[in-house]
Amino acid sequence: MGKKALLTGVVAVAHAVKMADVDVIASYPIRPYTGVMSELARMIADGELDAEMIRAEGEHSQLSIAYGASAAGARTFVGSSGVGVTYAYEVYSPISGARLPVQMMIADRTLDPPGDFGSEHTDALCCRDQGWLMGWAETPQEALDMCLVYYRAGEDPQVSLPQYACQDGYFVSHITGEVAIPDPAQVREFLPPFRPVRVLDPAKPIAVGPQIEPSMGPPLQYQRYLAMQESRRVLTEAYEEFAGIFGRRYAPLVEAFLADDAEVLLVTSGAHTATARNVVQKLRGLGEKIGLLKLRSIRPFPDRELAAACDGAKVVGVLDNDAAFGISGGGGVLYTEVCTALQGGGLGDRELLGFVAGLGGEVISREEFYWMAQVMLDRARRGPVAASGKRESGGDAGLMARENWKKTFWLPFDMEAGEGAA
Amino acid sequence: MTEATLAEIRSFRRVPLEELYVPGHRTCAGCGPAMIYRLVLKASGRNTILVGPTGCMYVANTSYGCSPWEVPWIHAQITNGGGVGAGIEAAYQVLLRKKKRTGEFPNIIVMAGDGGAADIGLQSLSAAMYRDHDFLYICYDNEAYANTGIQVSPTTPWGAWTTFTPAGPEVPMGHKIWPKDLARMIAAGHPDVKYVATASLAFPLDLLNKVRRGLNTRGAAFVHIQAPCPKGWVFPANMTVDVAKAAVETGMWLLYEISARKHRVTYQPKQRKPVQEYLSMMGRFDHLVPEHIARIQSWADLRCREAGFAPAGSLEQLE
Repeated sequence: MGKKALLTGVVAVAHAVKMADVDVIASYPIRPYTGVMSELARMIADGELDAEMIRAEGEHSQLSIAYGASAAGARTFVGSSGVGVTYAYEVYSPISGARLPVQMMIADRTLDPPGDFGSEHTDALCCRDQGWLMGWAETPQEALDMCLVYYRAGEDPQVSLPQYACQDGYFVSHITGEVAIPDPAQVREFLPPFRPVRVLDPAKPIAVGPQIEPSMGPPLQYQRYLAMQESRRVLTEAYEEFAGIFGRRYAPLVEAFLADDAEVLLVTSGAHTATARNVVQKLRGLGEKIGLLKLRSIRPFPDRELAAACDGAKVVGVLDNDAAFGISGGGGVLYTEVCTALQGGGLGDRELLGFVAGLGGEVISREEFYWMAQVMLDRARRGPVAASGKRESGGDAGLMARENWKKTFWLPFDMEAGEGAA
Repeated sequence: MTEATLAEIRSFRRVPLEELYVPGHRTCAGCGPAMIYRLVLKASGRNTILVGPTGCMYVANTSYGCSPWEVPWIHAQITNGGGVGAGIEAAYQVLLRKKKRTGEFPNIIVMAGDGGAADIGLQSLSAAMYRDHDFLYICYDNEAYANTGIQVSPTTPWGAWTTFTPAGPEVPMGHKIWPKDLARMIAAGHPDVKYVATASLAFPLDLLNKVRRGLNTRGAAFVHIQAPCPKGWVFPANMTVDVAKAAVETGMWLLYEISARKHRVTYQPKQRKPVQEYLSMMGRFDHLVPEHIARIQSWADLRCREAGFAPAGSLEQLE
């Protein structure tokens, strides 16, 4: 059986990488993800792991090395944070386009400016549409487990896609939590060796990534689309088998908390969920019908699962820990995604609200979550608001206060507007 | 790691007849880089994996989803030939060591143009050379971004016309920066690199053997090959070899190798000709006036002196 230890998120992932018997690792230092590479370097130096670790000269080369190594049949691991993630941007699509199941750990960090070590999901979310699986771990344990699940799902021939295994910088990467380190035999049972269908091998020549003519474009892109669609099923099955082998059961795509009869739901992802869950539980104790949905997977985005979980809710609020300037709706990335998934857009009988918070690595405080909850609960009590700004059920309600039909809020600034604070 | 040694090719009769770069590609008539590709694969043989950063030899060779190589080939971005080659090398090292695969260690060759090697991909090249990965990086140097329509690159000669450096009344010489010396940069700045050479398609035996010596090196090797481009340099398609030869005979392209940090001139013209003879073969230098040509002559003289050649004007002193 495995053993338990107090580990940070980065060290927990290093343990997973070791047990996955990764072959090629490419590193480049940037806070806060760096610790995973220091730990892997130590494991190699101490003879605990046999892997080629290449100290690349930048993130772009980390991903380039992984591209070549994966195409040659190696299981690969890279990682980064913040501007490092965006520096490598060119190589993300070639990796998924060649259907190479590279895994990249991202410990979030703000982009510049400001020069800031703090966590913000903006770095990873910039890359969300590059054909990679993407999801957030809330704890070091989830980070370790996600690493294994992602290798298994990403390397599945029905998927063959790379994976961004994300964790909040500092909140997960640098804070210790109790972690059950699996037994290597369990990992071997769960994660078979990487045996790609096509590899760069002089005995069986192939060409990877030739130029095409435009008429060849639609089917090529459609294959990546289908693979991503198929990954929902493969991820679900992988988490199911994971539960059987390791005894830890995860909702594969969306994790519900006190959501069954909730009239008000907050959608989150990542480490801030811990605070949100605590506040939701307290409000439940006070009789409020509030619940929480944590997105474990952002790519693929769990449209159906989310819609099913939101069925019956009057107000759905979405927490965004990312800056998306000029985006539709004025919230963040997840707000627009949830709006699309729920197809309601705030009109009709369900209201969708967006909350942008915790930028620059600022803690999202309990007070802020209470404020978000109050805004959502107030809206639920007042009933839906039509596009005209008039209540559907209240006849001529007169002019609505502007903030009454405001859909998206930047915290803490919009807290001063009065709504919800009462 | 077990790796077969490739023998020196001592005469043209010993050059492998097998063609691994096969017809059907879409390079221009007289394409220098295409001729180089053919020779490189004759030198390396079937146990080869090619990395092709974006450039002419990506676009013209792989159009419409085809490829003209009988060995594995993978596209790299124009930026990252060094990194992709390094990744393949690392994978083979570890997979063979961990017995996750069997067989021979392959010849891994990156075939990058001058843009991919000396300009936007220089960082990736330099890092891979510094880390001493066991592969051969070849720069086929046609002295411009040719595939995109002849734009200046860091190896474009001083005084050359390109679409980004046209000559005109205000800029009579066209391009007015002296080219980067990539082979010397690699040799001087990367102490672990054991083999660096320059080559010319007009000297095919020399080219074949330099490729083989690079591949036989345990560790990183770099071969810089001048690759005349009829379209970009503006000369008739049947003149590619003559132009390449004139470059060497006038000292505009020098042939040498640096092995185990020892510099050796591998070909030296007995009667070095004036650079004018080379420049006048190409339309890209049509606008130059005698004063410009004198500057280029001085530059060639200096480089020849640095390489251990006798200067023009004292040619009779040679041998």
